[in-house]
Amino acid sequence: MKIIKAIAALSAAALSITALSACGGSNAQEDNSKPDSISFWYYENPASAETADWREAVKRFTKDTGIKVKIETKSFTQIAQNASQFLNSEQAPDVMESNRGNGSAGMLSSMGLLSDLGPYVKKYGWDKVITKADANVAKYDDKGVMDGDKWVGLPTYAEFQRVFYNTDLFAKYNIKVPTTMSEFEDACAKFKAAGITPIAADAGEFGVMWLWWSLVNTKTDQKFIDNWQLYKNDVNWKSEPLTYATNKINEWLDKGYISRNATGLKKEDTNVSFIKGEYPIYQTGTWIESRFNEQIKFNWDGAALPGIKMLQGCTGNILTIPEKAKHKDWAAKLLNYTISKDLQTEIGNAGGVPLNADMKKVTNEKNRKMIKEYLNFSKQGKLAYYPDYPATNLTDAMSSEFQELVNGTKNPQQTLQAMQKAYTTGVQDMGVKDK
Amino acid sequence: MSQRKKTKRVSYSRLPGDKSSKFIPYLLLGLISLTVIIVVPAIWNVVLSFTRWRGVGPVRFIGGSNWARLFRDEMFWKSFRNSFWIIVAIVIIPTILGLLISSLLTDVIQKKFGSKIASLIRALYYLPQLLPVAVASIIMGWIFRPDDGAFNALLTKIGLASLQSNWLGSPKSALPSLMAILIWIQLGYPIVIFMSGLQRVDPELYEAAGLDGANWWQKFRVVTLPSIMPELLVVILTATIGALKTFGPVYLLTKGGPGTTTIVPSYYSYNQFFQIHQVGYGAAISTSLTVVIIVFSVVFTIIQGHVEKNMD
Repeated sequence: MKIIKAIAALSAAALSITALSACGGSNAQEDNSKPDSISFWYYENPASAETADWREAVKRFTKDTGIKVKIETKSFTQIAQNASQFLNSEQAPDVMESNRGNGSAGMLSSMGLLSDLGPYVKKYGWDKVITKADANVAKYDDKGVMDGDKWVGLPTYAEFQRVFYNTDLFAKYNIKVPTTMSEFEDACAKFKAAGITPIAADAGEFGVMWLWWSLVNTKTDQKFIDNWQLYKNDVNWKSEPLTYATNKINEWLDKGYISRNATGLKKEDTNVSFIKGEYPIYQTGTWIESRFNEQIKFNWDGAALPGIKMLQGCTGNILTIPEKAKHKDWAAKLLNYTISKDLQTEIGNAGGVPLNADMKKVTNEKNRKMIKEYLNFSKQGKLAYYPDYPATNLTDAMSSEFQELVNGTKNPQQTLQAMQKAYTTGVQDMGVKDK
Repeated sequence: MSQRKKTKRVSYSRLPGDKSSKFIPYLLLGLISLTVIIVVPAIWNVVLSFTRWRGVGPVRFIGGSNWARLFRDEMFWKSFRNSFWIIVAIVIIPTILGLLISSLLTDVIQKKFGSKIASLIRALYYLPQLLPVAVASIIMGWIFRPDDGAFNALLTKIGLASLQSNWLGSPKSALPSLMAILIWIQLGYPIVIFMSGLQRVDPELYEAAGLDGANWWQKFRVVTLPSIMPELLVVILTATIGALKTFGPVYLLTKGGPGTTTIVPSYYSYNQFFQIHQVGYGAAISTSLTVVIIVFSVVFTIIQGHVEKNMD
C-alpha cells in the first residue's frame, strides 16, 4: 500500500513538473533594455548569397550597437518540422529564418508563434522596399493564408526555378539551346538519339515535382494560381494545366528524356551530376547559381522553362521574429540592415536574386540576366510560388505520388487523383478554407 | 555486542529478501526517472491519441476517431506488413546466419587458424554495429545509387550489367534492398553474443561427440544450439523489439518510398507528428506500436522463463 502511495505521489510530482514547465513559456516578456547578445537561427547554405548578406548585416549591427549576434545554423528539416515546438518554448530565438507559404510560415503565424511585424514595417518603411508580389509571402491572414494583411516576416532575397543548360554539350552535338517548348523537346529528342538522357531530375526529393509545376505554368493563369494557393475557388483537377503537365512528364519518361532511375536520386545527386557535366539540361532553384559560378568548369546558361506564363518562385525564405523572442526591437533593427541597398547589391554580385539592388552596380552579366528575369515576372505579379504551399502534408504526399508516376506504378490520371485527395484533405486539415 | 551489531549490518545488505529499507533511496531515483521519462509521456501519448492537435494551440478531444481511422487506414496496415519483412531482416536471417557463422568461427576457424584470426573475423562482422546508423545508411545509400553507385559498377565489372537496378528507388527492389542493408548492419550483433556464449561450452562435450562419430551439423544441433539457448532468446527478444522500432535506415535511405513501398510504423508515426502536424493521429499510431511491443515482450519473456526453467 505504501508503495502504491509512493508511486501516486511521484506521478503527481512528475505531472506537476511537466505542467509547470509547459506554463513557463507564457510568462516570457519582452526585454527592451540593451542585451549583450541576440540569437539568430537560419538554415541557408553558408556559401549562398543571402547568407553573405545576413553575415554582413550581423557584422554592421554589432559594430553599430555593440550587441553580439549568436548565429546558430540549423537544417531545413529541423526548422520545417520542429519550429512549432521550439517557438512555443523558452528556446525561441530572436530572429529565425522560416520557409514561406501557407503550410510553413502561414501555419506558424496562425498558431500565434510569429510576431506581427506591422509596427516595424511602418518604422523602417519596409513596405516601400518590398512591394507588390514580393511582399505576398511575407504577409498572412488570421488563418495563415499568404497575401494577407499581417506582416510576419521580412523577405531579403528572391529565388525561382530556372532551367540550366550545359552549352558545351549543346555545341558538341550541334543542338540549339531552346527558347520555345518545341525547341526544348526537339533538343531532348536529339540528345536521347545521341545516347544521352537529357534532363536531370530527382524523384527521391522534389526535382520532378518542380519540373511538373513549371509545365503546369506553361498553361496556367492568375485565376488558377489563386485557386491553388489562396483557395479562392475549388481547383479543377481535370483542367488543362494539370492534365497537360502530368501527361507531359509521363511522355518524357516514356521517351527517356527523364530517367526512371530518378526515384533512386536525391537533389544533391542531380546537382553533382550536372556540375560534372553528365546532363545537358537541369531545372532547379536559383539558389544554386552561386555554386554553379564557382564549381562548373564548362560553359553554361540558364533561363526559366520556355513558354511559362507564371514563374515558379517568389521571394525567398523570410526572416521572422518569434512571438516569444526576448529582444524584438533589436531583432527588427538587425533585419533592417539585411535589405539596405548596398548589401542587396552584393547579393546580386554574389549570384543571388536581390530585392533592393542598385542594378547599375551588379556587374556579373549572368547574374544581371537572372535578376532581370525575376523582376520581369514579379513586377507583373506573375509568381506561381511552389505547388506544395497550400498544406503542410503536400511536400511528402506529392513527392510520393511523383515517385509512383516515375516508377510507372501509377498512370497520370491515378497520380492526379491521388494528389487531389492529398490536397483536399491537407487543406481541410489546415482549416484555411471557408467552405 | 558492538561486534555482533556490525556483523548483522553487513548481512542485511547482502541477503536477498531482506526487509532493510536502506536500498529505497537508490530505487526511488530509478522510479522517479522512470516516471518522468517513460510513464508520464506514455500516458500523455495515450491521452493525445484521443485528440486532434497540431502540436501547439488548443487540444480538442475527439473520442475514438483516431482509433477508428487507424483500423481503416490501409497505410497503417501496410506499415505493419512491412514490419514483418523488417523482422525477417533484423531477427530471422541474422540470427540463423549468426548461429552458423559463430559456430563455424568457434568450432572450425578458431581451431584451425587460432583465436586471433577468429577474433579478427568477428570484429569485421561487428564493424557495421559500431558505425552510427546514419553513417552506415548514408554509405549504403551511395553504394546502391542507380547511376553511379558502387554496387551497379561492380555488377558491370564482373559481367553482370544486366542485373543492374534502381535498387532503393524501384518498388520491386526497394524493400529487399533495405532488408539486405539491415542484415549487413545487424549480423555482427548475434555473432558476438553467440561467440561469447560458446566460450563457456565445455570442449569435452565436442570431443565426446566427436568420439561418438558426430559430424559438424550433429555437434551443432546437439551441443552448440542447446548450450547457447539463453543467448539465442535474448538476441531474438532484443532484435525483434529493435525491428519493430526501426526508423533511422528508413528515414535516411527511402523515406518510406518509393511511394509507400518501405513505410514502417515508426516512420508513419513520425510523418504524422512532425511533417503533417497531426499529433493525435501520430499518437494513436505510436501507442498501437507500443502495445504490440509490450505484448510481444511479455509473451516472449514468459516463454523465455519456461525454456530456461526446463534447461535448469
